[in-house]
Amino acid sequence: MIFLRRQLPLLITLITGLLFAGQYYVPHPASEQMLTSATKWLQIIGGFALILGVTSLFHQHAVKIKRQEAGWGYSLILYAGMLGTIAVGLWANGKESVNGAMTAFGWVYNFMMVPLQGTMFAILAFFIASAAYRSFRARSREAAVLLVAAVIVMMGRVPLGEYLIPLSGDVSSWILNVLNSSVRRAILIGVSLGAVALSLKIIFGVERSYLGGGKE
Amino acid sequence: MSFAERMLKIDRRIIFLVIGLCTLLPLLYPVGLPIKISSEVRGVYDHIESLPERSVFLLSIDFDPASKPELYPQAIALLRHAFRKNLRVIAMTLWVSGTGMADQLVTQVAKEMGKEYGKDYAFLGWSPGGQAVIINMGQNLYSAFPSDYSGKPTKDLPILDGVRNLKDVTYMVSLGAGRPGVEEWYVFGKDKYKFEMGGGCTGVMAPGLYPLLRSGQINGLIGGLRGAAEYESLIGQKGKAVAGMDAQSATHVAIIVLVIMCNVFYFSLRRTSQAQGQVG
Amino acid sequence: MDATVLGAWVATGLTLLIFSFLYKDNPLFKLAEHLYVGVSVGYIIVKTYDTVIVHLVVKPIMDNGEIALLIPVAIGMLMLTRYVPKAAWMSRYAFAFIVGMGAGLAIPRTISSFILKQIEDTVRPLLSIAGPDGLTFSMNLLNPASNLNALIILFGVSSVLFYFFFSIEHSGTGRAVARTGIIFLMISFGAGFGYTVMARMSLLIGRLTDLIEFSDASYGRPTIWLTLLTIGALIVISRRARPEPPQEG
Repeated sequence: MIFLRRQLPLLITLITGLLFAGQYYVPHPASEQMLTSATKWLQIIGGFALILGVTSLFHQHAVKIKRQEAGWGYSLILYAGMLGTIAVGLWANGKESVNGAMTAFGWVYNFMMVPLQGTMFAILAFFIASAAYRSFRARSREAAVLLVAAVIVMMGRVPLGEYLIPLSGDVSSWILNVLNSSVRRAILIGVSLGAVALSLKIIFGVERSYLGGGKE
Repeated sequence: MSFAERMLKIDRRIIFLVIGLCTLLPLLYPVGLPIKISSEVRGVYDHIESLPERSVFLLSIDFDPASKPELYPQAIALLRHAFRKNLRVIAMTLWVSGTGMADQLVTQVAKEMGKEYGKDYAFLGWSPGGQAVIINMGQNLYSAFPSDYSGKPTKDLPILDGVRNLKDVTYMVSLGAGRPGVEEWYVFGKDKYKFEMGGGCTGVMAPGLYPLLRSGQINGLIGGLRGAAEYESLIGQKGKAVAGMDAQSATHVAIIVLVIMCNVFYFSLRRTSQAQGQVG
Repeated sequence: MDATVLGAWVATGLTLLIFSFLYKDNPLFKLAEHLYVGVSVGYIIVKTYDTVIVHLVVKPIMDNGEIALLIPVAIGMLMLTRYVPKAAWMSRYAFAFIVGMGAGLAIPRTISSFILKQIEDTVRPLLSIAGPDGLTFSMNLLNPASNLNALIILFGVSSVLFYFFFSIEHSGTGRAVARTGIIFLMISFGAGFGYTVMARMSLLIGRLTDLIEFSDASYGRPTIWLTLLTIGALIVISRRARPEPPQEG
């Protein structure tokens, strides 16, 4: 049983990992066909993964409603929003528009989901301004460098800044294209090396946390 | 409590009000300051400009409503340019929450430019899997998208004549707000299937994509609302991005003033406490 | 009432409910927040069902007899066994397949795209110094591809990598290189902050543009009426929430 529960999953990871890493270097038609089929499979499995991700919310809020915990009314609103959207979505065959005409599902998307999600992120504008006022101080030489770079880029990337200080546009462009590029490149190389190392650890069974806990 | 201390502990809602007004007033009373075009944005524009008619242009609309104000104007400007150049436009998305928006913007611009569905453009819709979709499209486009957004088989679309996979795409632009986005399109797409590629992204992501731009892995980058405004200026059709640039200027200046004020108060407070320390 | 006009009222109302958080956390915001989560989850479920089940699985099987597609469906179903405690271990097969394949696909592509190409571009521009006519050196700072900028990029990449990845004690020359790395990092973070401000402000501009559009008479001016209503509601809520003075005794 321990083979089925622990060793077989690790073996599947090892085989698929090595197979698809090696496939990159083997452009044989059979190898390419395998890649086509497997990525198609991955697309379909990706759909199930998405459902797995969102459905964890169901349980959490169902428990809240059942026990009538504090704020259970909001959970009820969440459920109503979800079930209502599913109902109109299925009724509209999952289409927001048919031949250019908006469906009820499209209406929910355009007039509920878009403004809600958009505004949720738009309020961050106020908080970033408040945070800048409260904590963007030149406490050290490094912090002063960060602050000056930020101010130059903020000036150089808007028409008013370029109008008031014509040089700010060129300086911010140089900062982004040269100084920023070099740092981001170093980070990209470092992160990529880390990602490759992690992938190898996964393939060879050193990293196993993705298998989750539970009974062996 | 000294004046500097009181100013540093000011109610944050006053700052909110200042930012709100700095955004609202320029939107109501625009000034229309000129916008300088950067080489990053010109890279994408020039490449589309150089494409022959009926070239295959793939636009991946990889964002959701959270980034709509930045990337929607970019998408509209790019589509207007591509349609004006009579390119074959194939649109799609890797972000499920962006599907409705992508459908809306493609339909809207195509209608405005008098383009016919299936012949001049197609919208493939969304498919899950991110990188898997990109690789699968690189292998066989009809396997990744057996049908388009409306459910029609993609094999029956005349616009896709001669297009088997990503190798047959002349130019591709990903408008990405995160993952999957520009980087994934490069790693899992262009790296193997060798199509020419440009990028568009939110302001938050833009600095991180400069290494790809410098190495020529992408030939242009449209960053945030400013990038969209530049593109609108380049195609000569000013839209929401250009309209928003005055407000963008005002809010940036407001934040710079806030940062300067905060530092002035901070240093005056520090000097006072140092002087008190010396006396004590 | 026209669907678009009704939509304008709903969109404006929901926008204002979220904005009410700027005054303080309140029930109106919480209502909108939970509605947002509910609608988003509902939307994702419908789109996934329509795209995956209908268009990627059922139609190809029914129309073209692609029976092999039942394999990924089975793997996907295995994933859902996470909800059944006794059978949860079976989900490991699905995760093993996805993670193994993801890792395998990523390794060569990441090495090629982000490691080799980036290192190549850091070193290659230096070769142009030794051009066909002997040594040339372009000093134009405004041209990102100039030799001077190529040297700056090489120095920046090396110093940042040194600062992050070499665990030897940063002393002497090493300390100078690491300190330069920090300065480069700070400049890049500053640029990042500038762009983040730009992005956040753009989002606000987008929402306010919509609110201005919906203040038009053709929609019945929902922005104006609903702003007044939201402010009124916030006043009522904050009066109700005012704590009772502590009783003596």
